Amino acid sequence: MVDNNKFYIKDLNLYYDTLRALKDVNLQIKSNKVTAFIGPSGCGKSTLIRCLNRMNDLIEGVKINGLVAIDNTDIYGDIDVITLRTKVGMVFQKPNPFPMSCYDNIAYGPRCQGVKSKTDIDAIVEKSLKQAALWDEVKDRLNKSALGLSGGQQQRLCIARAIAMEPEVILMDEPTSALDPIATAKIEELIENLKKSYTIVIVTHSMQQAARISDNTAFFLSGEIIESDTTSNIFTNPINKKTEDYITGRFG
Amino acid sequence: MRKAKDYLAKILIYLSSFITVGVLLAIIAYIFINGIGLINWSFFTNEYNDKTYYLQFEANKLQLSDNSYKDNIPYTRNVINNDSEPLYIEELGGAIIESKKGSDIEFIISYVEKSSSMLEAKDRRGEIVGIKEGYIIRSINGENIEDKNLEEISNIVGDIQGNIELKVTNPGNGVFTNIITTLYMILLSLSIATPIGILAAIYLVEYARPGKLVSTIRFATESLAGIPSIIYGLFGMAFFVVFLKFSLSLLAGALTISIILLPVIIRSTEEALKAVPDSYREASYGLGATKLQTISKIIIPSAMPGILVAVILSIGRIIGESAALLLTAGTVSKIPENLFSSGGTLTVQAYYVAKEEANIEMACAIGIVVILLIIILNLIAKLISKIFNKANY
Ligand SMILES: Nc1ncnc2c1ncn2[C@@H]1O[C@H](COP(=O)(O)OP(=O)(O)O)[C@@H](O)[C@H]1O
Ligand SMILES: [Mg+2]
Repeated sequence: MVDNNKFYIKDLNLYYDTLRALKDVNLQIKSNKVTAFIGPSGCGKSTLIRCLNRMNDLIEGVKINGLVAIDNTDIYGDIDVITLRTKVGMVFQKPNPFPMSCYDNIAYGPRCQGVKSKTDIDAIVEKSLKQAALWDEVKDRLNKSALGLSGGQQQRLCIARAIAMEPEVILMDEPTSALDPIATAKIEELIENLKKSYTIVIVTHSMQQAARISDNTAFFLSGEIIESDTTSNIFTNPINKKTEDYITGRFG
Repeated sequence: MRKAKDYLAKILIYLSSFITVGVLLAIIAYIFINGIGLINWSFFTNEYNDKTYYLQFEANKLQLSDNSYKDNIPYTRNVINNDSEPLYIEELGGAIIESKKGSDIEFIISYVEKSSSMLEAKDRRGEIVGIKEGYIIRSINGENIEDKNLEEISNIVGDIQGNIELKVTNPGNGVFTNIITTLYMILLSLSIATPIGILAAIYLVEYARPGKLVSTIRFATESLAGIPSIIYGLFGMAFFVVFLKFSLSLLAGALTISIILLPVIIRSTEEALKAVPDSYREASYGLGATKLQTISKIIIPSAMPGILVAVILSIGRIIGESAALLLTAGTVSKIPENLFSSGGTLTVQAYYVAKEEANIEMACAIGIVVILLIIILNLIAKLISKIFNKANY
């Protein structure tokens, strides 16, 4: 294994009951880089990204074999799932703030980890919101319901909520697919800034988005990774014919 | 031809709705017309049975403390149009009115001073009972006062040296005891059924793996909800009252009611829990929360309105229950002293007075109270779901 790998995935297979959703997936995800998963819908992008913080554990009937390691530690063996999820935060397709105040949303994770002191939590909330470029917009309404925010603001709140855990990795599953272009642009700008401090894995079905923001790209097709490389190679110089077809818009 | 059929169908539909609404209104109207005459303040504060005592106290003169007596007459209860003005008697430290009920005349204590010695009046065994507003005076130191008037009574009292003994009746015909019993029953049943029901629902929705066991439990709760309450009453009587020797009691009643409520609470709580979007669960787990944290901090608070509605509708169920309680808690019109005392709720009392005493007027009066309570509870439930449905998802 090369040292700057955050995740190391080897021969990973995943079954939803009998449906084989991931087929012998091999992939390395580099630290402090943005890695994009692209591919037509239903090809297993979400399934793979949800393996990285064991979100699939919640689904009845999922069977997994193969290796997923974070920092050379098997996430299905040597680390407990709570610790894993504090190291690997997640942002979902649809903004899903809790029906509570903005402040409580951010404070939720740290509080669950046992942080009690009000001053500590205040500091975490402010820092996370600032990192998520949301502080100026919500600092006067911290105690109002997060559901009153716009969709884009809600999504940045969810990013701030993930940041509040001081994770090493942030997983984003199509984080902008429910947002308008302006909100999308803001999130992309935010990702640009966040990649200095975090390893980011993002699922997107917009190839332009992948091209704009990612360093590396993995192309999926029906549960397999067809090709993974630096984004510039994938987009300008794909090795596999299927990748080229997809990139040039011939299917998908 | 088709038109005629259409027309006929329309008439039938209108007729049916008209009959439904009409019957409902007729029932409510009947109950209101029959019962409304009994409803006044003392209906709620009096017990059902009247009680007559001989009560003694020392006669010492007490000035009326309220100076605005002349303009603002301090009688408070039992005042109907054909009552006389109250007369304050210093020896009693209270005022009396003369009240005509048909051809009968009654002298009723309408006002008692705070420091009146009537409040300390003792019965013949020396126990303090106290004479309160609303009590009816029958005799004074053995002297019958039926054919006297207020002035004469005042004179009789004025002549007494030392102790005064009044024969008084604490009037009945009220539902105070039944209201208290109903409250006890609500508190007790809810404190048994709500926690169990909610925990069971949490188990079913959040913990249990879908399978034979869960579907069996679900089928059982659904079937239980459809069984008429008299069956539960029979079970409660056989098991709690007889076998466990609780006798007819609050506890036996509350346990039986709890069994009736459980399926309802479980079902509605389940619905409320299922309505919590999975995205909340995912978000919580994604932040490294444990299952218990997710359930207690996210899922239950989000499901709270639904659970609350279930609890409020359960209160309605308790108020409306009669058959099961009749068999397990009894019909006694006395404030229950402990968990093992018998006591009749409002609805049971309505049954009792109608069946045993043919007192339709009182049954209807109780009916009014029950109808209003149920309507209010339903409105509250509606309001809660409305407010929270808007606020939440
Ligand atoms: N919870 C699930 N249960 C069963 N099958 C699922 C589940 N989630 C996804 N799948 C199936 O797995 C395959 C991959 O899905 P997914 O990873 O969501 O694709 P993508 O995110 O690339 O659109 C699809 O065929 C989908 O139908
Ligand atoms: Mg997806």
